[in-house]
Amino acid sequence: MRRGFPVLAALALALCLLLALSAGESWIPPSGIWAALARFDETRQADVIVIYQRLPRALIAMLAGAALSMSGAVLQGVLRNPLASPSLVGINAGAALAVVAGAFLLGLEPRAQGSAALAGGGLGFLASLGVARLAGHAHDPRGLALILSGAIVSMFLGGLTQALLLSDPALRQDYLGWLGGNVSHVHAERLADFWWLAALGMAAMLLLARRLSLLALGAEKAASLGIDVARTQLLALGAAVLASASAVAICGPLGFLGLVVPHLVRPLTGARFGALLPGCALAGACLCLLADLIARMALAPLALHTGVVLELLGGIAFMLMVRRFYLRGAEA
Amino acid sequence: MIRIQGLTVGYGRKPVIRGLDASFAPRRFTALVGPNGCGKSTLLKAVMGFLRPQAGRVTLDGVPMARIPRRALARRIAWLPQENHCPDYLTLGELVEMGGHARQGLFAGPDDRDRLLFREALRTVGLQDQAHLPVNALSGGQRQRAFIAMVLAQDTPIVLMDEPVNHLDVTYQYALLGLVRDLTRRHGRTVVSVLHDLNLALSFADEVVMMSGGEARASGPVAEVLNAANLREVFDLDAQVIRHEGRRICLPALPEPSA
Repeated sequence: MRRGFPVLAALALALCLLLALSAGESWIPPSGIWAALARFDETRQADVIVIYQRLPRALIAMLAGAALSMSGAVLQGVLRNPLASPSLVGINAGAALAVVAGAFLLGLEPRAQGSAALAGGGLGFLASLGVARLAGHAHDPRGLALILSGAIVSMFLGGLTQALLLSDPALRQDYLGWLGGNVSHVHAERLADFWWLAALGMAAMLLLARRLSLLALGAEKAASLGIDVARTQLLALGAAVLASASAVAICGPLGFLGLVVPHLVRPLTGARFGALLPGCALAGACLCLLADLIARMALAPLALHTGVVLELLGGIAFMLMVRRFYLRGAEA
Repeated sequence: MIRIQGLTVGYGRKPVIRGLDASFAPRRFTALVGPNGCGKSTLLKAVMGFLRPQAGRVTLDGVPMARIPRRALARRIAWLPQENHCPDYLTLGELVEMGGHARQGLFAGPDDRDRLLFREALRTVGLQDQAHLPVNALSGGQRQRAFIAMVLAQDTPIVLMDEPVNHLDVTYQYALLGLVRDLTRRHGRTVVSVLHDLNLALSFADEVVMMSGGEARASGPVAEVLNAANLREVFDLDAQVIRHEGRRICLPALPEPSA
């Protein structure tokens, strides 16, 4: 299974991508997609739908899915907590607040909002770490304090975001959708602006893969094996925040993926980050495409927000995971 | 040679070790013995540079340990912690391979010599057929042997071990310490190991450092230093050290039955 997984996952992703381009209000067969990609003709309606709507949407979904899933795996490894993920340690909420605050208070252009999202994601994460340090014990082996303080910080920042949204009915309409996690072709410009930052974060995580695997044995053991622990942790957390905040800058905060995908992938690839991270990228891209497909098709002709679908799935997955990692001991 | 001079170190402000002087002779097996909480594990962690000393210093061949980069240090010293953690789904083979990290290039994988070393390490601890199994599916004793194999795979001239025979049955306790002794005798390695069983120290170690209350009370060749007088001082224990067929055996006196 471990050997075959990359091939299977890549095939699955190709299939999902094909489905995402074909399916929708009108079915466009693979031959039509090929025609649109190879000889784009602006007068053909199918070509316009594929190139200007479905392809950007699919690219956004894949990038966000890959970036958030890889970030989740890295956060779970570095923080040594199975429940860590970009949405649970304040990154998503911080980035969302920064974007909304930037737009509402400073009148930032969409381009600058992306930078605000990055800064906000970082600050949200730092705030969660700070609260955890104030509240937690030094010997909290699973970092439960961090998850709790991440939830507290997320709620607090979310409240501020809501307050800002309520203050300006004119702008509210633009951001209400984005805040729900909206994979949409209207964000294609943001994709063009920020894809490279997400890619940079993901590349950095891949470069750190070997060191991250060793770090999972514990900070001191990793140090004894030749790892500069503080530097590796800093770089890895920075890369995870960069990748996930860039994804949030493009399509708004998407939950679920960062938390769940690493747990789905780990049994298939093993615990080493060299295999786990690419696996997470492929599986996350697949799942995000599928969630987007469900969002578009489930209540057609109404389109749900992808983020809503993911949050619904995420709530259930979170319960199962708390049961597996925190209540297992209590039952035994 | 590892030399410790006037070391005061602990967790937070309270020192666990106070003004300790010791040195670990090269190519010898040194046992660290002492009662619970006397600072044996803390001493090893301080040597590894995990704790910031309040006073004193630790040097490796005259160079302050703190000045040696982690990667270079990992090629010279391996450390077996008292408690080992392993993430789920990591296989034994993968774990042992991680021992070779400091020797490999930043992106290059293990070479043929490394692979031979990994197989050798697994065979040494008797787990050569289990390389494909997840570490967390192994029994406690097998896990301990897995982490010892990882330390062997690190292939360093100096090995520090914190209770290496913890969780092991008596057969493996003797087999493994025999192997550790071979590391020093045959391969010229320096081994420092925390041992709780004084008879294991008497059987296998060359040197001993006896600690209590965060200080080194006595040190030197095990046959001379691990004697009844020092046992009384360090452990507050009445014990005879008797000779039997060329070996020394420590026999603690039974406590008086309570009335």
